[in-house]
Amino acid sequence: MKAALNMLAIALTAVLASLAPAAAADPALIAAAKKEGQLTWYTTQIVNQFARPAAEAFQKKYGIRVNYIRADSNEVTLRIQNEGKAGRVQADVFDGTGATAALKNNNLVAKYIPQSADRLPAQFKDKDGYWVATNLYVLTPAFNTELVEKGTQPKTFQDLLDPKWRGKMAWNSSVTPSGGAGFVGVVLAHMGEEKGMAYLRQFSGQKITGLQVAARQVLDQVIAGEYSIALNMFNNHAVISAAKGAPVEWIAMEPALGVFSCLSLTAGAPNPNAGKLFMDFLMSEEGQKLYRDADYLPVDPAVQPKDPALRPGEKTFPAIFMTPEQVFDNLPKWGAIYKDVFR
Amino acid sequence: MAFENASAGQEPRATARGSLFAHRIEQKTILSAVVGLILAVLVLPPLYFLVVGAVSVEEGAQTRYTLERFVMLLSQRGILISTWNSFVFAIGSALLSLLIGGLAAWLVERTNAPLKSVTYLTNVVALGTPYVLYTSAWLLLLARSGPINTWYRQLTGETGVIINVYGMGGMILIEGLLWSPLVFLLLGATLRNFNPALEEAARMSGATTWGTIRRVTLPLSMPAILALSMLVFIRTIEAFEVPALVGLPGRVHVLTTDIYEMMHRTMPPDIGSASALSLILLFIVGALLFWYGRLTRNAEKFATVTGKSFRPNQIDLGAWRPLAGFALAFYFFLLIVLPAFILVWASLLPFYQTFRSQAFPLLTLDNYRAILNSPRYISLVVNTLLIGFVSASVVMLLTAVSAWLTVRKAPGARVLDNLGTAPLVFPGIVLGVGVMQFFLQVPVGIYGTVWIIVWALVINYLPYGVRYSYAGMIQLHRELEEAAAASGATPLTGFRRIVFPLLAPSLIAGWLFIFLLATRALSLPVLLSGPSSQTMAVAMFDLWGNGQGPELAALGLMWSLSMTCIAVVFYLVARRGGGLQRA
Repeated sequence: MKAALNMLAIALTAVLASLAPAAAADPALIAAAKKEGQLTWYTTQIVNQFARPAAEAFQKKYGIRVNYIRADSNEVTLRIQNEGKAGRVQADVFDGTGATAALKNNNLVAKYIPQSADRLPAQFKDKDGYWVATNLYVLTPAFNTELVEKGTQPKTFQDLLDPKWRGKMAWNSSVTPSGGAGFVGVVLAHMGEEKGMAYLRQFSGQKITGLQVAARQVLDQVIAGEYSIALNMFNNHAVISAAKGAPVEWIAMEPALGVFSCLSLTAGAPNPNAGKLFMDFLMSEEGQKLYRDADYLPVDPAVQPKDPALRPGEKTFPAIFMTPEQVFDNLPKWGAIYKDVFR
Repeated sequence: MAFENASAGQEPRATARGSLFAHRIEQKTILSAVVGLILAVLVLPPLYFLVVGAVSVEEGAQTRYTLERFVMLLSQRGILISTWNSFVFAIGSALLSLLIGGLAAWLVERTNAPLKSVTYLTNVVALGTPYVLYTSAWLLLLARSGPINTWYRQLTGETGVIINVYGMGGMILIEGLLWSPLVFLLLGATLRNFNPALEEAARMSGATTWGTIRRVTLPLSMPAILALSMLVFIRTIEAFEVPALVGLPGRVHVLTTDIYEMMHRTMPPDIGSASALSLILLFIVGALLFWYGRLTRNAEKFATVTGKSFRPNQIDLGAWRPLAGFALAFYFFLLIVLPAFILVWASLLPFYQTFRSQAFPLLTLDNYRAILNSPRYISLVVNTLLIGFVSASVVMLLTAVSAWLTVRKAPGARVLDNLGTAPLVFPGIVLGVGVMQFFLQVPVGIYGTVWIIVWALVINYLPYGVRYSYAGMIQLHRELEEAAAASGATPLTGFRRIVFPLLAPSLIAGWLFIFLLATRALSLPVLLSGPSSQTMAVAMFDLWGNGQGPELAALGLMWSLSMTCIAVVFYLVARRGGGLQRA
């Protein structure tokens, strides 16, 4: 009888919780987070586009300081691994395309899905509870509209083999989806192993410049006219820059590569409550709108991106989607092929 | 390293008094042991952990010891190419910086060329500017879309480039420019203290100006020039900024960037191979330093600097004077005006594009606003200054005591001296790997804080501190301390009340020099900084890599301006104390 009552109470609480307004985080969590007063966020988000505005919005709302460090997925992983080894984890929250899967194996990720993510479709949450997806990345090429006349830009993988693009393309050379390795991945997934490898070998004759910088910086160099085409970059970045007057446009390459940016809590986080509250904030409608306002693609189906054409779909363009686990499992292989074929 | 034997001849002369001061000598022995222990704790662990990291392979719970990584590395074509590249890069940069900086130094110190003060200013400003900022500025200038290549295309109608900066040529050019100011300052000191008697003799015997330079000045300066080129050569073998920012996009790998890539660009990081390659690099640098030591030891035979007071006479350039002025103006233009111009331009843009009229409507102060409104940048300033201040202070304190003990022949003096100068063999990136290994294996809770950076920088700059302290110390006669001892002071009191104040000018010059180096260091902090311990140079490196060139430019300009003020102080102090010679 007592057990049944307990069950009922739990069920009721759950119902009530789902009815509560989406914006309100758990007051107990807020209080505990405020006591901690700050949190550290290792992020792959570009600082001036998203990391800084998001940190400022959170601080304004809760008075809790966000120390953010921007690095690519590999470096985020490496830093947290080292901190774990040194017995002093400093990151509370981190995001990235493959970091969670890697760090899970080192027991450095805590299971936590914020309450605010309850409303979202299951595909955006790890079934084991290690990550939530905050936003969608669509990786395609982009071109400089002053160097490449509109209409003449390459639209298919075959177009990229045109000798006129030789030496005029660049990508990020780090082993990450948003670089040469990700390009390898989408080609293999699209064409199959054998044809894909043949294509890649042929493509390496195009002398693509590998830059040891974020995809954002690759795009900036294309905007500056250093190269004509940036490969495997985030399509929303092109839109952000074009809005500021930059001569750049993205290409809906068929197919594009779609990956999630995933958010996780570290195991042994020094400020776990502030970290949880920050995750709750980013997954709430308010947080998702921050992604939209920054011209990113929020996962929340209720928050439409500013430019719906950026999001792959039946009406726009096809994309191959990969989960963080798929990314993590395949990335070393793509990286090895990339190194082998293109360096 | 060059002065290991310099303290010979200062044998303790009191024998009868020896027993009288027995307990005081004991004090020195204790002090010597303490300083030696501190130095050993600093210097030895990184080396130990590099070796252990390089030879141990973990297989499950078992650890196996093997040399297979060295075999693997040395049989890899890529590593051999990187080694070759490192040497070509270092030789090229050393020659170029020697040519540019040396010519400027000669014009300023030994001729009546105009624009001398402007040239001094150029070098002092350069001393306060982080290399990563300089490198990005020249990249903006020389890149395919930079003004030079754009104008070339506009003038000729070509579609290609006249300069492709992303390659060995670009690397040498930029690194050579980076080192010119230091060459200027070091060679300038030598030229300034030149004894003119031999040159006068040559001229009185009928030699022309050019003949005198070729047959007297140049051969006499040769040891200094050789030693200096060796120094620049070693430092460029260890360089990280230019190889990372210029070499990697151009697919030119050198040893330091290979180590960095093993640590940062492979998943999972290959610390074992990075340690093994670090040891290989360590060995190369060690061998070069040994040679450098031999070179500078022989240099003493060429006594160009004596105790006599003189002022080297200046060559009247006559009709060539305007040309010399033009050359110095060009030097100023190359090292200050051009980089500053492109940085100001970049800092005013919302996204970077080349200098052209279409971009004028876009100009904005947003980047400056973003920096001044961001609390993050305040913590960068605080971290960087704190790291610089503490590192410089610890180094100078340690080396002052150690130099005193060395010169006064305390027990174990030789060990102290060797421990203090040993870190010269550590390239920044290698030391970074070693210190990181140390604190990963021995978790004492400073990993990821500013203190691990301070720890590493103290090791890195110990040799510089030793040079400044030692050079100051050998000028102090022991009779002052003996007077203090006779009046009843312990040796420690004598050091504190007499030696330390008298050493002050050398110590201050050394402190400022290390402070300036520490605040712009990149290769160590880039491996060791955590979320709350980012430094200015690391932030600039990240800004460049993350596509925030305009914000980097704004930040860099503001930072360099403030550091220039400190560099000016350094220059004034050092010039007075003659400290630049020892830098």
